Amino acid sequence: MASLILSPAEQDYIIRGVESGFRADGRGSLDRREVSLRTGMISQANGSARCRIGNLGVGTDVLVGVKAEVNSWTPGEPEDLGSIVCNVECSPSAAQEFEGRGAEEINVELTQLLDRILNGPQSGLDLKKLCIIPKQAYWVLHIDALVLDVKGSIVDTLVWATRAALMSTSLPRVVVETIGDEMGNMQAEFDVVDDPEDLTPLEGAENLPISVTFSQIGKRYVVDASEQEEVVTQAKLTVAVSPVMEICAIQKGGMFRGFPPSLLAEILEIAQRIAREELTRFDVHYAQAKSHLSSQADEPSTGSTFLVQF
Amino acid sequence: MEIDEAPQKVDIAARIVTPGTAITNDSAFMRGHGTFSEHDTIYSSVAGVVERINKLVSVRPLKQRYSGEIGDIIVGRITEVASKRWRVDVNSRQDGVLLLSSINLPGGIQRRKSESDELQMRTFFAEGDLVFAEVQSYFADGALSLHTRSIQYGKLRNGTLVTAFPQLVPRSRSHFHTLSCGVDVVLGVNGYIWVSKHVPASKVEANAELIYSDKNEPISDDEREAIARVANCIQLLNRLYVKITDTSIIFAYEASLVHSVKELLTHDVAVELAQNVMARLEQQA
Repeated sequence: MASLILSPAEQDYIIRGVESGFRADGRGSLDRREVSLRTGMISQANGSARCRIGNLGVGTDVLVGVKAEVNSWTPGEPEDLGSIVCNVECSPSAAQEFEGRGAEEINVELTQLLDRILNGPQSGLDLKKLCIIPKQAYWVLHIDALVLDVKGSIVDTLVWATRAALMSTSLPRVVVETIGDEMGNMQAEFDVVDDPEDLTPLEGAENLPISVTFSQIGKRYVVDASEQEEVVTQAKLTVAVSPVMEICAIQKGGMFRGFPPSLLAEILEIAQRIAREELTRFDVHYAQAKSHLSSQADEPSTGSTFLVQF
Repeated sequence: MEIDEAPQKVDIAARIVTPGTAITNDSAFMRGHGTFSEHDTIYSSVAGVVERINKLVSVRPLKQRYSGEIGDIIVGRITEVASKRWRVDVNSRQDGVLLLSSINLPGGIQRRKSESDELQMRTFFAEGDLVFAEVQSYFADGALSLHTRSIQYGKLRNGTLVTAFPQLVPRSRSHFHTLSCGVDVVLGVNGYIWVSKHVPASKVEANAELIYSDKNEPISDDEREAIARVANCIQLLNRLYVKITDTSIIFAYEASLVHSVKELLTHDVAVELAQNVMARLEQQA
């Protein structure tokens, strides 16, 4: 995925740095970069969030919008569940290799990864609550993610933004009535209340998992790899952990080598610890994003123009 | 396009303008780069700072592509190996060109290039290598022609690259600095800055055959920390739009010592350090 080329000397510098526990920007192997999070910027969507992971205004930037639609049930589908449809697209302006059809492969990979994390009981969302009338109508949540900039750690940023978008999603209230027809059969009908103020938050969104990606560099591994570190990464493991410390999804990426099983066990354990810290950090940022939204103070401060805290 | 209707006749110097801002309607002024005129009024065509030199009014943009001048010291990355030349990414509109005849061949500066050299160009520079070079001339299409015909130029090792805005690196007498903490800094005028472990010049000269080696020297943990600290200082100077010179880097380094290296890139610490550096630079001026 790297169009960034590094010289052999630079690569060696990074690998030896990681092996001695001191990364090129001074972080330790398990240290993560700063996060900038905002929600509610897409007014037409039911929920939206934008997350940037990186320092000083530069980083991996993902925008996620959630749109809810009512679907009619067709035979063969689950009778009493709603559904989630994910779509991830990497903008061609994010990196040079995404120009034209260059992003096709990674779009599919990220879409499938997000789907794996969200679609199913492990995600924490109660799909039963998304059913409006069994065997008749249900909510479909379309989760559309747009990757605006790539500076390493694209999966973690994507999951952060998706989590924030879903937590800020609210659906219109639905009124269900059962009415009898001439022959005495009871028919259920629903009506979506068209009031922008009358909304119900999406239930279960706070149970969503958060992801931690481990990149193997040389003989060690790091969390939240930067763009340069991803060039020398030989294997990646993404672990999605829920707030109750259950592992919801694991995906191994990277085609250069595999993980020894002992390392795998170690990583899964550390993933839980890091996920706990990340979830706490997420809650802090999410609360800030919410209060920022309500305060409506969106004057950009010109003192630090390039730090672009959106 | 909306144009500011009422041009002010205020002091022209050091105003920040956006495209379409009227600068002056005094016909005594000539218009320079970054401006256009309509009906006797000079307007800005870019977002930047107004500069006035005698009768010439121009606007210096905040963000601008590097365009090379002869004699510029730059750091570039090899993108392509072609017949008897290399194409070099110099952070400009076009890739620069490094001719085989413009480099030092190992085994003495005076050695003439041979047939076998042409066939083994990747033993000198391969794709991805970083090269420290000087701009020699232009080609007809405006591409920069580079040379490394001096012992201090050549392949870069033992460190890490920081990318900054080109306009923050002023042209000066010397672009290669050794800081007191044992870190060498190469300030490429094109915005590519190389931060590495200090290697004494005597050692470089002693190993003339190893100038194209890809092998790093052994780097200790302390040296690695110093390099990371300097690299982070340069990065924060860049993001907070402070001129990057050996002086500003040293000021930033000294002010950064109370913080851990990884904290330097966090928002609050970076803003504090940049303000500290700007204050000291102003004091010095």
